[in-house]
Amino acid sequence: MKQRFLKFGLLAFGAAALTLASCKKDNDDGETNDEEVITTLELTFTPQGGGTALTFDYDDPDGPGGSNPTTDAISLAPNTTYNVSARILNKLANPDEDLTGEVEEESEAHRFYYVPAGNVTVTNLDTDGAGLPLGLASTWTTGAAGAATVQVTLRHYPGNPPNKAANDPVNSPKSATDIEASFPVTIQ
Amino acid sequence: MKHLLYVFLLLGAGSSTVRAQSCTFRLSGHVHSSADHSNLPGATVLLDGRPLTLVTDANGDFRFDSLCAGTYTLLLSHTSYDTVQRTIVLDKPLHLDIDLKPGEGLLREVRILAQRPGIPTPPQLSGRALEAAQGRSLGEALSRINGVTLLQTGNSVTKPVVHGLHSSRLLVINNGVRQEGQQWGNEHAPEIDPFIAGKLSLVQGVEELRYGSDAIGGAVLVEPRPLRAATGTAAEATLGYSSNDRQYLASAVVEGRPQQLSDFSWRLQGTGRRGANLTTPHYRLNNTALAELNGSATAALQREHFRTELYYSRFHTRIGLFTAAHTGNFNDFNNAIAAERPDPTFTGQDSYTIGRPRQEVTHDLLKSRTGFDAGNHKFTVLLAAQYNRRAEYDIVRSAATKGAQLDLRLLTLSQEITWEHPRSARLSGSVGLAAQQQENRYSGRYLIPNYTGRTFGAWAFEKWQKDAWELQAGLRFDHKTIDTRRIEAGSRVLTNYGFDFSTLAAAGHAGYRILPGWRVQAAASMATRAPQVNELLANGVHQGTATFEVGDIHLKPERSLRFSLNQHYDSRSKKLSVDITAYHNRIDNFIYAEPRPEDPVYTIRGIYRKVAYTATDARLQGVDAAVEVRPLDPLALTTRYALLRARDLRANDWIIGMPSDRLSQEVAWTLKEGARFSDTRLALELQHVWEQTRVPGEAAGPRDYKAPPPGYTLLHADLSTTVRAGRYPITIGLTGRNLLNTVYRDYLNAFRYFTDEMGRNLSLRIKISLQPKSSHKTVQP
Repeated sequence: MKQRFLKFGLLAFGAAALTLASCKKDNDDGETNDEEVITTLELTFTPQGGGTALTFDYDDPDGPGGSNPTTDAISLAPNTTYNVSARILNKLANPDEDLTGEVEEESEAHRFYYVPAGNVTVTNLDTDGAGLPLGLASTWTTGAAGAATVQVTLRHYPGNPPNKAANDPVNSPKSATDIEASFPVTIQ
Repeated sequence: MKHLLYVFLLLGAGSSTVRAQSCTFRLSGHVHSSADHSNLPGATVLLDGRPLTLVTDANGDFRFDSLCAGTYTLLLSHTSYDTVQRTIVLDKPLHLDIDLKPGEGLLREVRILAQRPGIPTPPQLSGRALEAAQGRSLGEALSRINGVTLLQTGNSVTKPVVHGLHSSRLLVINNGVRQEGQQWGNEHAPEIDPFIAGKLSLVQGVEELRYGSDAIGGAVLVEPRPLRAATGTAAEATLGYSSNDRQYLASAVVEGRPQQLSDFSWRLQGTGRRGANLTTPHYRLNNTALAELNGSATAALQREHFRTELYYSRFHTRIGLFTAAHTGNFNDFNNAIAAERPDPTFTGQDSYTIGRPRQEVTHDLLKSRTGFDAGNHKFTVLLAAQYNRRAEYDIVRSAATKGAQLDLRLLTLSQEITWEHPRSARLSGSVGLAAQQQENRYSGRYLIPNYTGRTFGAWAFEKWQKDAWELQAGLRFDHKTIDTRRIEAGSRVLTNYGFDFSTLAAAGHAGYRILPGWRVQAAASMATRAPQVNELLANGVHQGTATFEVGDIHLKPERSLRFSLNQHYDSRSKKLSVDITAYHNRIDNFIYAEPRPEDPVYTIRGIYRKVAYTATDARLQGVDAAVEVRPLDPLALTTRYALLRARDLRANDWIIGMPSDRLSQEVAWTLKEGARFSDTRLALELQHVWEQTRVPGEAAGPRDYKAPPPGYTLLHADLSTTVRAGRYPITIGLTGRNLLNTVYRDYLNAFRYFTDEMGRNLSLRIKISLQPKSSHKTVQP
């Protein structure tokens, strides 16, 4: 009698353990892409009135950790106005994943800030659905030759609703940083 | 039965007298259940002619000292067993082994009256105190035990801290099985429904060897009530509501022992709760709602000398984490913590919705435990499987992202065989073999690699007692292997690591009874904990806290050497109980996450601060003290005090993140039993927590982001009574925590950087017990 119960218990347990073990085969080995990773910010400069488009990027192809990100030096002509478009990419995905659309779709929860120092001004940021600055597109105007920097920040509003407002500073407590890149600019 | 009840009533009125006598005989005994030969704690022992009752201890033992020669009547009773009466002729020291048979009747009344709580050793929580604390989380219930504090992430994620130690240093034993979740993380709470517990206790020393050689901080035992001993079906339901977060709670138990199959018993249990956003005294925190659904099923078969039990439980929780405490890079973090209060964007919503960031955790446990006796040898086979799934949903850029950003799955199988050799009046002991296999897998963001772990262990301990002396000693050895595997997206195989750790633990304990009711105990133990996979191989962003964690594959096991002294005194009149424990714990290779401000991690999101796992030597010393005074019979004054000093011996500095000293004073008034109301008790508690001033010096750079918050004093209250409405007793409890709506922050809450603690919370609980008619006939006095 004892034996039978023991055997039964063990069998039942074994079967249950197997069932449990078989559940874990889903979604296997190793990491999937972190869909949240941004590796690259790409800025494309098209001179108003014609000329070759120039592309500069801030790039961290191995994601957070590992090698530090690299920053291109932006080289622009003096006294010129450029239409600038921003693109964000995840190069850890194969092929590269363009994430710009995500920002466009949720424009009311995102905002680019451009903070120049030196002979560059950034104006004319495009707007989101509510008419507030978005900044995927902007206009850069250079002055006389010299060195400058432009700090580019993409902020994301996690709140629901986002409560984005025109006068939110770049370090607003309402938003968090998705991208923070400081580009050196050479005007020559 | 009436007789017994009257005797207890008399005792309750405090009519005890102490007689001076020169008699020297000792009567000791051991009580077990005839059903399964298990030791039977909590049985009431009444010796005729002596106005003193005893209750059998955790091992089912009792002892009377200094008896005169003569003839006595011994009465043994237990709520779930038939009462046994024996006539004893005492002319020499005597030891009795007594079997109690499961009874047909539940003597509920008797049990309640017989309960004169005092301060239990080992530290534990059960009965009414547990019921009052069960409403929120297991961690919070445990924090009512002196010496246990909380490590929190907000107010919904709570982890117990014992003498400054927590997470993988503190084992949590769920119904006899070592809980294997992702307990290494500070924001990973134990995955156990507090309503499963009939008793919560804290064990250190020899007893912890059963569970592992790595219990540096001890082990917390979560034990369900014993299954129903009498035939019939009974049910109990608890309904609760909390005002702070409009939390609804329902918990129910149905259990039975069929009349026609009386060696079989079963239990079904379930708990559900749903809470909205929590509120601090001045603002409500968005996204702090929670939803939890738990259940368990037990089936047991008991024959003489054989018992087997199959147990399954599931725990499932979804917890929202305050949005503003989930920051981007280090600058964002600094901006957020510099603010006096969170931005209004993240406060003020009164909603049950759980958004991002949140945790979803499911824990399944399947356990089979079989015991049989061969002669006086007892054998137990324990098999268990656990599956833990932890999904963490971060704030994401795009609402189109539905999945979790971190998804960890841990399967643990464990096997254990225990042999308990025949016990004599003086000696008892056990030997055990244990094995465990683990497999951890994840998807999403990398934090720790996949791994398989295997542990084999063996332990043995002996307990000896004679006269006033009690000695215990035990030893445990474990061998653990870990194989890690990391495959990056795109199937790039990274370096795999293998680790081998041998860990040894030993414990000794000596107890001496100076007088009846006054015991001193000394204990020494050594425990060794192998580093966890996260300490060895973490390498990634810890989302929300702007940190980047880095492991170290060269870490060695940490070893602790702990000494403790305890004295416990209960006066004969039960008017005074004093329990004081002092401990000294020296830990070599103490592993901790060291901030590396000089070496930040640059990412496209900006700067993350780096923390690296490293080792030092630590010394933890402290005192836990509790004093209960009953100047009048209905009045009980309980004072509890806990002190801890934690030093980093290599840096010659304090250790960060240790609980500060705390003192609490409880005043409880128990009303006389009435015709309709019984067990009525009102308690007020004033709790003071000092500011933690013993923190690492910042001469060599910042170690913390904000200075520890000031100390605080809170007022709590609890009122409970049992009403007899018709046949069924209804227990009503009203608990108020932080009654004065005090604004405070706690040093051990990770969200203290961002927000105040929860404000006033009033909770109402109603418990209805439905007992079958047959078991009820004996209770009317």
